[in-house]
Amino acid sequence: MTDTDRGAVGSEYLTIALTKGRLADQTMELLARAGYTCEELGDKKSRKLIFTNEDQKLRFFLSKGPDVPTYVEYGAADIGVTGSDVIMEENRRVFEVLDLDFGKCRMCVAGPAEAGDLLRHHEMIRVASKYPQIAKDYFYNRKHQTVDIIKLNGSVELGPIVELADVIVDIVETGSTLHENGLMVLEEVCPISARMIVNQVSMSMKARRIREFIARVRDAVNMQ
Amino acid sequence: MKEPVNTYQELLHQPEGVRDIYGAENARRSQVMDNIMHRMRLYGYEDLQTPTFEFFDVFSREIGTTPSRDLYKLFDNEGNTLVLRPDFTPSVARCAAKYFMDDKGPLRFCYQGSAFSNTSTLQGKLREKAQAGVELIGDGSVEADGEVICLLIDALLHTGITSFQVSIGNVEYFKGVCQAYGLTPDQEMTLRDYISSKNFFAAEDLLKNMGFGREDRDQFLRITDFMDDREALEKVRAMTGNGRSQAAIDRLMRLYDIIDAYGYGRYVSFDLSMLSKYYYYTGVIFRGYTYGTGEAIATGGRYDNLLRYFGKDAAATGFMIQMDAVMEAIQRQKIAIPGRARIQKIRYTEDTYQEALTRALALRRDGIRAVLIREEPEG
Repeated sequence: MTDTDRGAVGSEYLTIALTKGRLADQTMELLARAGYTCEELGDKKSRKLIFTNEDQKLRFFLSKGPDVPTYVEYGAADIGVTGSDVIMEENRRVFEVLDLDFGKCRMCVAGPAEAGDLLRHHEMIRVASKYPQIAKDYFYNRKHQTVDIIKLNGSVELGPIVELADVIVDIVETGSTLHENGLMVLEEVCPISARMIVNQVSMSMKARRIREFIARVRDAVNMQ
Repeated sequence: MKEPVNTYQELLHQPEGVRDIYGAENARRSQVMDNIMHRMRLYGYEDLQTPTFEFFDVFSREIGTTPSRDLYKLFDNEGNTLVLRPDFTPSVARCAAKYFMDDKGPLRFCYQGSAFSNTSTLQGKLREKAQAGVELIGDGSVEADGEVICLLIDALLHTGITSFQVSIGNVEYFKGVCQAYGLTPDQEMTLRDYISSKNFFAAEDLLKNMGFGREDRDQFLRITDFMDDREALEKVRAMTGNGRSQAAIDRLMRLYDIIDAYGYGRYVSFDLSMLSKYYYYTGVIFRGYTYGTGEAIATGGRYDNLLRYFGKDAAATGFMIQMDAVMEAIQRQKIAIPGRARIQKIRYTEDTYQEALTRALALRRDGIRAVLIREEPEG
C-alpha cells in the first residue's frame, strides 16, 4: 500500500515543525541540499503560519523549540527539528532519527571556580536551570548526588551571582557569557546538536516517504 | 440542615487526567466497544474480569510494564501496598495461573476496563485509560500469533477504521544478532534503547565505538530495514548469518502466510527494529497505527515467560486496544461507526399509553431501541 491511497486525515502532506530562528534557517539550508525546498518560507514579509510546497507535498510551520516535540508526539507534525537539549528535557514519545550536526553546543554544569569542590562530595547543593529534567537526571542518575533543583526561565547565570544557587546547568556555546560573569564550566553533561524527530504513527503509516526523506537528509548531512 | 461550606462550583471539577464521558460520545464509544468485544467472542474468547487493584508485586519491575513511580499505590489495613492496575496482562496471567494451573489446552480470555497510570502533569495525557484486549494462553504456535493479529485487524475493521497498519516485529531477531556478536547485557540494553527509538545513527556510532567493522555494523543495522511484504522478508533472511535470527525471520514469513490466508495481508508490515520497552515480551510483537492520533491504537505480542512468575509454565500471546486513541482516530477521520442503531421515540398521552406501550414492547422484542416519551395533552 502506498501512502496516497489511504485518503485519511493529513495523509497527503508531510508536515514539518521547525524551531523559530537560526535553527530554522540552518534546517532549510540543509533541506535544500537534500532537494526539499519551500519558497513561501523564505518570504520574510509573509504573515502566514503554515508554508506549503505543493509540488513536493510538504508543509512547514515555525514554533518555539520546546513545543516541537509536543507537535510531533501528537502527530500535528510528522517530522520536527529542534535541539537535543529540548528533546531530552521534554522527554516525549517520539523517534529521534538523525543528528543534523549543526546548532552544536554543550550542556554544562557551571559556577564559580570554588563551587567545583561541591560537586565532588555528594553534598546537598542548589542547582538552578532552565532544564530541570536534564539537571535532575544528571545529578540523580549519573552523579548520584542529591540536589535541590530550582527552575529558572532565563538569565540562569544570575543564579550563583546572587547566591540563589550554588551551580547552574545550562547550554554553553562559547563560554563568553559565563566568563564575563566570573563563572566557568565545571563539568560537561553532554554535547548538544540539532536533531530530527519523527512521530511514531507517521513512521509506520507514511513509512516510504519518511524513510526516503531521512535518507536524503542524512546524505546531505554526510556531504558537508 | 446546615448550609454546605463549599460552593457547588468547586465540586464540579475532576482531577487532572480523568474525564466524564457522556451523551453522544458515550453512545459512540459503547458501540465501538460492543463491536470489538463481539469480534473477540466470535473467535471463542471468554470474558474475564480481574480486580481494579492488586498487590504491588503483580506489577513489580520484573513483570510489569510501568515504572514504579507511575503506578497509583495505596495501602490496605494490613499495610500491604496495592496498585491500581496499569495494564491487564499481568492480572490475567495471575488469574490464569491461579484457576487454570493444571489446564493443558489453550485458554482464551477477553477483557475490557480501565487501566491507570500516574503520568506526568501538563502533557495532556489521560491517567485513566479504557482498554479492551485478549490473551491466548497455553499456545506457543505461529498459528496463535496469526490468530491474535488477525483478530486485532478484524476488531479494528469493525470500529469503522479502514486505514490502519499493524507493524510486526520479532525480538528474537535482535537477540540472535546480539548473541552472535557476543554483546554484554549492558551493551545490548543501550543498543536496544537506541534501536527501539529509531535512533539508528546513534546505534551505528555505538557499534563503531565497540570496534565493529563496516560489514558487521551493516549486518546489525539490517534490523532497520523496512519490509512490507514477504519478498522483503526473504531478502533479509538471505543476508542473516545466525540461526536464531534466521528462525525469527522464518517465523515471520510463516506468520505472513497465515495472515494472508485470513485475507488481511495488506494490513501488516514488518519492522525488526520494533523492540518493546516491556521486557516481558519474548517473540513476535506488534503495534497498530492509524491517522489522527499520535500514539499506537493497539499493542501486543508474545510473552512466554510471564506466567512462570505465577507458577504456571505456559506460552502466551495477546493484545490490547487503547479505546481512547481509537475514539480520537474515529472522530478525527470522521468515521461513521458501523452498527449504531437510532433510538425510536414513541410519544404518548395519558389516553394513548396502552397503545404506545404495546408498540414499544414489540419494537424491543425485535431488537430495536425504543423509548417512551410522555406528552401533555394540548389545551
